Amino acid sequence: MMLPQDNYRIALLSAYAIALHAFESLIPMPIPWLRVGLANIIAITTFILFGFRSAMMVTLIRVILASLFSGSFLGPGFILSLGGGVSSMLAMGLVLSLVPGLFGPVGLSLIGALSHNLSQLFLAYLLFIQKIEPVLLITPFLILIGTITGTVNGLAADLLIKGLKNNQESIQNTRR
Amino acid sequence: MSLRQTISATTLGDRILLVSLILASCAGIVFIKDVLPNSGGVIIEVQGKPTHRYLLDQDRTVRVESPYGQLTVEIRGKRVRVIQASCQNKLCEHQGWVSHGAIICLPARISVSVGVPDKSGDKRIDATTG
Repeated sequence: MMLPQDNYRIALLSAYAIALHAFESLIPMPIPWLRVGLANIIAITTFILFGFRSAMMVTLIRVILASLFSGSFLGPGFILSLGGGVSSMLAMGLVLSLVPGLFGPVGLSLIGALSHNLSQLFLAYLLFIQKIEPVLLITPFLILIGTITGTVNGLAADLLIKGLKNNQESIQNTRR
Repeated sequence: MSLRQTISATTLGDRILLVSLILASCAGIVFIKDVLPNSGGVIIEVQGKPTHRYLLDQDRTVRVESPYGQLTVEIRGKRVRVIQASCQNKLCEHQGWVSHGAIICLPARISVSVGVPDKSGDKRIDATTG
């Protein structure tokens, strides 16, 4: 059951996620496909504050709209982005429902980053590379990078969540 | 709310997960090459021309001939040795097992290079296995 204020909230959070996603593509990176995944800060924050459904909606809207804006809709990057985003949300939802309280935002972010990378590697192997050796060679590097960026994102999300909880009125966005 | 407070607010599960992920990925970076098959190739050259290519992880015994002599080369357990050589001094036989580098038999003009990451060799194998 989605209330109108849920929809306002999802729209607002999706807009933040898309803005971060776009901002991130302006940052020069040594490897073109390497991303910090700043939009995941919004995904984690939404997940912890408003639950799995809202976070999945925000992720889907962000992936689809950002790819439409950048012209990569239904392209290889879009498929990897969608697979990574959906699987990381599913993994975080599963872990939080199975062992609630074991992990904070940082741990959930790490789980999200890990499943994001693993599903993208699997998709890339299945659809584009089709050779297991280069995929296996790159896997530990990607997991290490994902662990670092996941920690940074998790800490940022934790800061954001605590800041928002201190200031409930401004995020609810239910009054207009 | 400062960053330091946020870091100290992480749960034990967070920290264990972080440390184990870092350890696992670092171990993976170090050991992935040993785990992977097709770690390298063996190229046997006769008079400077590569005539035989093999993968180091496929055990076999090969007999190589040149106009000046012949060698019997054994590949086993990711190492290579010359079992038998036709020449007088048997330097290559005495060299024993080699896992990196080369065995060169000057009298027969045959060289065996070991541990070469050989792309064309890989391609050949890929073609046969599909």
